[in-house]
Amino acid sequence: MKLLEALEVLKRPISEPTSTRELFLECGFTPLHLQTFLAAHLRLCFPQSRNEIRTGLYGDLAGNLERLQPSNGSIICAVVEWADLDPRLGFRSLGSWRSTDIPKVVESARRQSERLALCVEHLAERAPVYASLPTLPLPPIFVTRGSQVHHQECELRQIVASVATSISACQRVKVVNAQRLDEISPFGERLDPKAEIGSGFPYSLEHASRLAEMIATLIRDQPPKKGLITDLDDTLWAGILGEIGVEAVSWEMSGGAHVHGLYQRFIESLGTAGVMLAAASKNDSSLVEQALARKDILLSRDALFPLEIDWGPKSTSVGRILKQWNIAPDDVVFVDDSPMEVAEVHAAFPQMECVVFPKNDCHAVWDLFKQLRDYFGKGSVSSEDQIRLRSIRSAAAVRDSLHAPGHDADSFLRDAQATISFALEADVRDNRAFELVNKTNQFNLNGRRLSQSDWLNFHQSPCAFMLTATYEDKYGPLGKVAVVMGNNDGSKLHVRSWVMSCRAFSRRIEHQCLRYLFEKMGVDQIVLDFKATPRNRPIQDFLAALLGRPASPNLSIERASFNAKAPALHHRVVEVTDDRIEGKREESLESHRLCCQ
Amino acid sequence: MAELDDRLVLCFSSIFPALTEEEIRGSDVALLSDMDSLAGVTLVALIDQEFGVEIDLEDLLRLRSFGAVQRYLCERRVLNLSPKEQIIR
Repeated sequence: MKLLEALEVLKRPISEPTSTRELFLECGFTPLHLQTFLAAHLRLCFPQSRNEIRTGLYGDLAGNLERLQPSNGSIICAVVEWADLDPRLGFRSLGSWRSTDIPKVVESARRQSERLALCVEHLAERAPVYASLPTLPLPPIFVTRGSQVHHQECELRQIVASVATSISACQRVKVVNAQRLDEISPFGERLDPKAEIGSGFPYSLEHASRLAEMIATLIRDQPPKKGLITDLDDTLWAGILGEIGVEAVSWEMSGGAHVHGLYQRFIESLGTAGVMLAAASKNDSSLVEQALARKDILLSRDALFPLEIDWGPKSTSVGRILKQWNIAPDDVVFVDDSPMEVAEVHAAFPQMECVVFPKNDCHAVWDLFKQLRDYFGKGSVSSEDQIRLRSIRSAAAVRDSLHAPGHDADSFLRDAQATISFALEADVRDNRAFELVNKTNQFNLNGRRLSQSDWLNFHQSPCAFMLTATYEDKYGPLGKVAVVMGNNDGSKLHVRSWVMSCRAFSRRIEHQCLRYLFEKMGVDQIVLDFKATPRNRPIQDFLAALLGRPASPNLSIERASFNAKAPALHHRVVEVTDDRIEGKREESLESHRLCCQ
Repeated sequence: MAELDDRLVLCFSSIFPALTEEEIRGSDVALLSDMDSLAGVTLVALIDQEFGVEIDLEDLLRLRSFGAVQRYLCERRVLNLSPKEQIIR
């Protein structure tokens, strides 16, 4: 983006702004055009939000961060450059560059980096922090020629790497990926010495724009896709199975099919991070089973569920997979080597990302892997991610049983030997609960998403409660599947968010959640902040059945009425209490207090 | 020339959105920049990126009028061309 474009973007009026975002852009240099670009990129990411960007004092990044008092909903961007670690590493200071002084520079950079890391970690207790670590070249102050690295230079890079390692492990800190920035912003074109000397702004306009774009992308934090549907012939392996046979399809370097082996390894890696994998192929199903049973295959047969193998249109197979997974097309990526098949599926599901597998182009395969990582990338892998495929299989088995002719739901659920573990501890570190609230569409009370700031604010509220439900039955564990969040005013509960994973449908977990809340919280009324969305039909149906009429905003459910209408519940209910949560909360409050002093 | 003129107006209006095109053409750069210290620095960066002409803030302020900036850019762009390109022009 050019500066003129950025200014033009910012001139456009916001029609009906829905929210105002307060953002602290903290850097040691004059924020100048970085601020303009960041505001413009944020406007593009959040067209309906107003962004108020506040900046700190020149030359005092650590002080700015220490003085910061983020209010509810604020976010913090810390843009660190070498001069913030020691002014002599910048181009504006006239400090000594004598060779005997360089060890002191390194030592001072080490101390300052520790101070900055501590600030960031403390701030992350109160607000999400987005950090960029030095992106500019070091000045040529080391005694070696430019072609030879000096150990002091290595030490400085190690100091920065150490800060990155430390803060990127914090839950609410996101650090700009230096490797990706290297790809989009040429290293030699980042520094503008004239602008730095003249106005205290060290970046070229191009670099400022690209860095701002990356920060805005981090703040935007699009939810990851959930599933990948892959073709088989000339995609998962090289060759057409029906033409050359089970033993001739290949995925090895010797057969010139190495990219297919890499693809198997790559999607296997996605699967272990909780991405659902399925195959849709025009093929003979018995041949496919034989090929997938080959001992040398890299992707386990069990990693794929379901397999949709027939000779019908690909879009029909994809539709069946979506039904099995019970997720929406826009949560899925489809990969096939045939541009025609890709076009056919995309025509049927315009919201789905449909990608051609570039079987003859190694560079393009590398780019495909990067693209897939961007679609599916997440901050961490939870225990639920690791059991997702297993629980999808068991959910499908339960669904099939429930829909079998002559089936009796009550006896089936009684025999399921289900256990629901409820935790009524509002744990701010519960990533899975945060993820559920932000990813669930169908059983979702109002479709409202929570930012990191909203999440923190909620947990700081004294009358807030959060109930999570973890489910397991004889078919296997489903993990943490439901979250209810709200406030307790003593006489009634106000539920602001209520989500349940689609894998947990048909087990009456939602009824058990309400029963537990009525009993545990000792209230006779629960008010639900309900709002119909295009995708929350399952919760609409559930509420309509309970109320005997269509659900409407701010509806309430009385305990007596619920008890009269709720079906029989056969779960064993377990209460989970975690003393560590209280301890952690105390620690968190203590560090908050220290940070404020 | 007309294209340069339009783009220069666009640069000014992106920094001073309240001014009409007529006001921009009749404006005094130094006075405008005095109203907002960042405006001058931003205008210098815009001129650099949009016209490929480096100009110091002090030089820009000395030019004062919109017309003078326009003429300056025209001359600098011509000077930046190769002798052959200048003859063709």
